[in-house]
Amino acid sequence: MFGLEIGFDKPWYLAVLALLPVLWMMSFRSLAGLGNVRRLFALSFRTIVLVLIVMCLAEVQLRKTSEKLTVIYLLDQSESIPLEKRQEMLQYVIDDVAEHRRADRADRAGAIVFGRNANIEIPPFDDDIAILGGIDSYINLNTDATNLESALKLAQASFTEDSAKRIVIVTDGNENIGDARTMAAMLADDGIGIDVVPIKLTARAEVAVEKVTLPPNIRKGQPVETRVIVNNYADRTIPGTLRVTRRVGAQEEFLGEIDVELEPGKTPYSFAHEIEQPAVYTYQADFTPTHPQDDLMVQNNRATAFTHVRGKGRVLVIENFENLGDFDFLIERLRNNNIEVDTIASNELFSSFAELQTYDSIVLANVPRGGGDDADSVSSFSDAQIEMLVRNTEQMGCGLIMLGGPDSFGAGGWSNTEIEKAMPIDFQIKNSKIRAVGALALMMHASELAEGNFWQKEVATVAIKALGPMDYCGLLHWDISGDRWLWGEPQGLIQVGSRRNMMLARLGRMQPGDMPEFEPAMKKALTSFNRVNASVKHMIVISDGDPSPPGFATTANFKKANIQVSTVAVGTHGPAGSKTLQDLAQATGGRYYVVKNPKALPKIYQSEVRKVARPLVFEPDSPVVPQIVDRSHEIVQGIDSLPPITGFVLTTAKDNPLVETLILSPQPQDERNATIMAAWTYHLGRTAVLTTDAGKRWATSWTDWENYEKLFTQLVRWSMRPVNDDGKFTVATDVRDGKVSVIVTALDKDDEFLNLLNMSSSALNPELDAEDVKITQVAPGRYVGVFDAPKDGNYFITISPGPGHAPLLSGVNVPYSSEFRERETNMALLKALAAVEPRGGERGVLIEEKQTADATEGMLAVDTFRSGLPPSISSQDVWPLFLVLAAGIFFADVFVRRVTVNLEWVGPALASVRVKMFGQELAVQHEERLDRLRSRKAAIAGEIDERRAATRFEPTMPEDGDTKITLDQVLEDAAGGAAPTERPKRSTSQLSPEDTEEESYTSRLLKAKQKAWKENKDKE
Amino acid sequence: MRRLVLSVIAITMLVSISGCGDETTPSGRLDKVWGRRGISEGRFQTPRAIAIDKDDLLYIVDKLGRIQVFTPDGEFLRGWTTPAIENGKPCGMTFDDAGNLVVADTHYFQVLFYKPDGTWLQEKTIGGVNGQGEGEFHFLTDVVQDSKGNYYVGEYGEHDRIQKFSRDGKFLLQWGGHGREPGKFVRPQGITIDKQDRIWVADACNHRIQIFNDTGKLLSVWGEHGKEVGQLSYPYGIELDGKGHAYICEFGNNRVQKFTTDGESLGYWGTSGRREGELHQPWGLAIDSEGLVHVLDTYNHRVQRIRL
Repeated sequence: MFGLEIGFDKPWYLAVLALLPVLWMMSFRSLAGLGNVRRLFALSFRTIVLVLIVMCLAEVQLRKTSEKLTVIYLLDQSESIPLEKRQEMLQYVIDDVAEHRRADRADRAGAIVFGRNANIEIPPFDDDIAILGGIDSYINLNTDATNLESALKLAQASFTEDSAKRIVIVTDGNENIGDARTMAAMLADDGIGIDVVPIKLTARAEVAVEKVTLPPNIRKGQPVETRVIVNNYADRTIPGTLRVTRRVGAQEEFLGEIDVELEPGKTPYSFAHEIEQPAVYTYQADFTPTHPQDDLMVQNNRATAFTHVRGKGRVLVIENFENLGDFDFLIERLRNNNIEVDTIASNELFSSFAELQTYDSIVLANVPRGGGDDADSVSSFSDAQIEMLVRNTEQMGCGLIMLGGPDSFGAGGWSNTEIEKAMPIDFQIKNSKIRAVGALALMMHASELAEGNFWQKEVATVAIKALGPMDYCGLLHWDISGDRWLWGEPQGLIQVGSRRNMMLARLGRMQPGDMPEFEPAMKKALTSFNRVNASVKHMIVISDGDPSPPGFATTANFKKANIQVSTVAVGTHGPAGSKTLQDLAQATGGRYYVVKNPKALPKIYQSEVRKVARPLVFEPDSPVVPQIVDRSHEIVQGIDSLPPITGFVLTTAKDNPLVETLILSPQPQDERNATIMAAWTYHLGRTAVLTTDAGKRWATSWTDWENYEKLFTQLVRWSMRPVNDDGKFTVATDVRDGKVSVIVTALDKDDEFLNLLNMSSSALNPELDAEDVKITQVAPGRYVGVFDAPKDGNYFITISPGPGHAPLLSGVNVPYSSEFRERETNMALLKALAAVEPRGGERGVLIEEKQTADATEGMLAVDTFRSGLPPSISSQDVWPLFLVLAAGIFFADVFVRRVTVNLEWVGPALASVRVKMFGQELAVQHEERLDRLRSRKAAIAGEIDERRAATRFEPTMPEDGDTKITLDQVLEDAAGGAAPTERPKRSTSQLSPEDTEEESYTSRLLKAKQKAWKENKDKE
Repeated sequence: MRRLVLSVIAITMLVSISGCGDETTPSGRLDKVWGRRGISEGRFQTPRAIAIDKDDLLYIVDKLGRIQVFTPDGEFLRGWTTPAIENGKPCGMTFDDAGNLVVADTHYFQVLFYKPDGTWLQEKTIGGVNGQGEGEFHFLTDVVQDSKGNYYVGEYGEHDRIQKFSRDGKFLLQWGGHGREPGKFVRPQGITIDKQDRIWVADACNHRIQIFNDTGKLLSVWGEHGKEVGQLSYPYGIELDGKGHAYICEFGNNRVQKFTTDGESLGYWGTSGRREGELHQPWGLAIDSEGLVHVLDTYNHRVQRIRL
């Protein structure tokens, strides 16, 4: 009834109900004295109580069955499916929901998009669906692989328990990560049905560059042959152009281009050339078809390989693009000392890990984390680039040096980055005696931007992470209560310190609303700014510009308080740009950014937050002379003293015994914050810092110093990765079936095999995750290791041959994901998925495209919201309720056995009702009744008088009619003895036997006492 | 005694339901709640403006740019979409004396005209150019028509002003400007007009109501910022019932407040929240022929009908 059922969690307890007949038998005899009616009631109550208690033990539940259905669509967005096909399938899903969803059942529909990973695009909701941004809007979706298993898992977790569940998979079935079959079986166990919509990949011509190969052991000046293998999958000749280039760092060199007529199958091509300079070379082969229709999948038209030719030390100097040339003096001195130096600007940074392998040390020369004046020019080190720098040192042994200047260390926004971890100093000041405090207020009003909340959380996270522990931070937004601080209300700006994690956690529940005007929020911020004691105060406003602008007085107060307001205009109401925001930035001296692509937002915030870190720059009133602390260290060997400097960036020495502090400033007094130079070994590499600059602004007196070259040359050389001078190790790599084999041949100086070496190795995958590789000796002087390479990209290998040998470096390239090898729909897998039968339901349907003009129309013929799946049953424990009920009925059981309910009032009451209803007609009867009552009263009065006059002590019971009850009979009855054959009726108007007994007994006792008193008196 | 106790309980319950308490507690009676979030017909995605025709049919525009027509009880009748919505959606609507729906197409700087069946009267469009000149607009807020057929259009952003146009869309005059002084505006979000052709402006960010004659002469100003009864916080919508009362929905206070035309509060209804009887940043309201107030509970994606 109403879809509700009773169920039991532990039904075996119901067996106890078998004892019911025993209960009845025992109770029937013991309750005999109650009379038939009361006995029946008592028995019934006892039965119910027992049943209820047994149901409680069995954990009775109320179960509700729902006919509702939830369908989640899994949309394959991997690149093996042409874009137009993906859009077509997206439209199919929208149409399918509109066509089949049962609104009367409140059916829900949701969508998950997947490639290498899976994201919920539309959570299950009881409405039609629309994907307004188009499929290009997906954030954080990697489409270079197909992981159907992860999508199925996500769908399973997204279902709610109050409905039947079905998944509709829209895919070509070419999974290359995970195991969808196993997952489908698990879903079936959960009663989840699976329908499958195969995306048919039409037969098409396809060409792929299989690989580029190079000789394993290339030496300087040696002729080299690069071989390129191209595979034509079509059954006809395909014309095109094959081009091979070579890159060293950021420089690209053209090696050759040939026109080819590709026969079906694999064809090798060779390109001969020479290597003149030691470096890491990356080779790239590209095939371009003459007719685009001959090759529909362009992602597999490129393959790369690289080789490492070692030479003397090579250094990369990364400069701030806004101050190019500041380190020319240093670079020239290094070159004079036989160190090869390349320079790149911070807005043209490296893009791959391979590029860094060219260098033995990398120098960050007063370069900020992010910089630039406007949204177009703003640039920054991405998290990936920072990770590359750190892994290059950590895993590959490259040196990393950070040179100071006002844009470096904490002042350059490098706080809380991986770089900070790798350096021998912390970039933040944790000493409250040093006044290096900034205050930052963030104002959020960009929720109408596509994925606005996501981006606002991103930029807020960037800002909070970049601030030091002594800095203040607050975030203003509009919510249902009006303008509010996200934390610290009403103060707003609070010190980051130990609250950083709290701030980051609060971002999770931030949902900025539609702020009507800027004025109140800005006043709120101004009040908070005026309350904090910070050297630099800064505010960043992100908005679409439609709140009403702040008043002139408010902006003037910001200007007066030296608080700059930078504004970020995002385009949600037409092209980005807002005069309101522009005026606000201009009036307060802040920057105005017009953002066309939200991906620029984190860079802008990294650049802006740097302003708050300016107090970390320490410029004493008079120059200070740094002191060398450890003269024995290789970097400062042979140097006795240093010229004065006029400034440096405040940092905090790491509390780690491995840190070697080499030079200290006499100010500030706390040595922990006075580091000028420090160094340490970080995993396989070495890192060092110089917190003052190289002579441009603070160390100007160093440029005329005779030891300038010595200091910096020794610094750079110390940091460089070690070199294997004997060159007797040869490393070869091979990729096959998703595995990389590393083969090392080891010879000593006499070309004899080196055996029993204790080799260890690690590999960095394309995402720079390290994996240990076990190397074992398989033959004299020959060592082999194997590791999995499931992802496309470069794998870098570091091999430690053992004590006394420098690490060997190598690498291998997996040109592209297997995603781009698949050219046909994997129908076998898709049929298997559709054939899985969910527990308690019907197996799925393979919804195939029809060969008609409108294929999706044919697909819509299948109702994906059909029934045939186990309905949802939600249960709720109700045994506590049953227990209370049992207690109540138990009371009723006791009541019916112990209390006799007098129902004589019912007759008069009914009579009274009849009188009222039928009037005078019953008046006569009423009179007769009164007469009977009067005569009865007189009779009873007579009996009482008679009893009073009696001289016997035996208690007497008032008689009803002719029935007489003796005291023995009453006592026997009370003791539960055999019931009298005919029980006398009692009247409440009569004295009860107990009263009579009490009176007789009391009067007898009284008389006895009186007699005793009298006898005592007589004796006295 | 029992009767006395029952009577006391009954009276207490009645008072709590009807809200006839003192002025600090909400008054008014919730009559109906309808509408749900969604993109299908009859549902809403952040409804922004409401207008009511002579037959008490409700016309509601949401953030998908859909103008949907409903019966007073929320039954969906028909709908259509404004010509373009990428830049933003309308946030003001009214009916003119010809029975056409007049729409302040906020982010396209124009006033649109529709027949009640959704037919776009393109030739009647006013504006379309972003600027501060005569007949140009920034962000439009609302539009009304006087008894002579003239239109008054509010706007905010770079210019906070009211512009007056003739029946055929010709610019006549303008007044206002950005500011806190009487006669100026900071976001004149809601506009209505009385039988004497006085223009009532909900000056949202100044938290006040300003009343002008048809030439822009300031006649009266009342209202102050606050949460107390009689105070205002971001009044976004204003309607008159023709019986000497003004109904104002407050975006900031999440309530509807009833005033005399002199600005004396007669009570309010609503409080912050998502349950029935609670509001989440209401943008507009409309009064039907029976005096029932239909409130756009914008961020709850629904309509609440009340008697206040």
